[in-house]
Amino acid sequence: MSGPTWKTYLFAYFGLLALLLVNTLIAFLNLGGFGTVIEIGLATIMACLVAGILMHGFYQMRLVQIIIAGGVIWFLIMMSLTLNDYFTRGWLPFHEG
Amino acid sequence: MSDPVTLELREHFATVEQQRGTADTGMWLFLMTELMMFGGLFVAYTVYRFNHPQAFAEGSASMDIMLGSINSAILLTSSLTMGFAELSAKLGRQRLLGILLLVTILIGLAFLGIKFTEYYEHYQQHEAPGVWFNRTGPHAPAVQMFFVFYFIMTGLHAVHMIIGIFLILGLISRNMIGSFSSAYNTPVSVVGLYWHFVDIVWIFLYAIFYLPGLHK
Repeated sequence: MSGPTWKTYLFAYFGLLALLLVNTLIAFLNLGGFGTVIEIGLATIMACLVAGILMHGFYQMRLVQIIIAGGVIWFLIMMSLTLNDYFTRGWLPFHEG
Repeated sequence: MSDPVTLELREHFATVEQQRGTADTGMWLFLMTELMMFGGLFVAYTVYRFNHPQAFAEGSASMDIMLGSINSAILLTSSLTMGFAELSAKLGRQRLLGILLLVTILIGLAFLGIKFTEYYEHYQQHEAPGVWFNRTGPHAPAVQMFFVFYFIMTGLHAVHMIIGIFLILGLISRNMIGSFSSAYNTPVSVVGLYWHFVDIVWIFLYAIFYLPGLHK
């Protein structure tokens, strides 16, 4: 099983620092709700860099990659269904009985 | 037990690759349960922030962006030294491995030091939730909820950091008695997975607690 080299680690590290800087600077701009989307998006890219390179996700065997994908998908299901419930409350009138 | 030759391939595995793959798979499964635990907290935070956007922006404005950013860079650096430690172990460079693991611990302690300094500042400014919280204004109750999430989530993250430091201390002691070699270094990579995962959690904690307060 091959893995990342010293260079790859350094590439990931400086990439992460750059993304951290960009994310912090963008937060100073007035982008409304879109700002939050960008911040979480950049954080997700950073997480992918850590998981893919530092945690060897890109180099793992297929079974481990399926476990990672499965975990993330279950998390997204939990998140989307729960938020769907909370965010849509009050959309329709509630009639008792 | 400490002989690398006997640890290299346990009797119930057919190949070294299978043994390593099994350890990696087990750790990733554990990390996915961690994802669910932290994920639940992130979902709860999102619901409250959606319902109280102004209060959460107000709470986030109380964060020290400088300390938060420095801490983020520090934690990313610790991930780099941990990654280098894993490479050193694979190359059988035990002395370098020991040094890098020690550096990782020191960086981790620096992170915790800054974190607890922040906690103390919040306590002094009466932002710690509970009987210590003393803020006025129309959003005060929801601002307190922001700090409830902040202390619980970053606190849980800090607990994980402390556990990680003890795990790395264990690696250092095993390395000192010569447990690791280029043929056997699975514990180093497995602890490395844990350490990097804690890093990922912080990346999102930084984004949701420190950045919203900067929006103009």
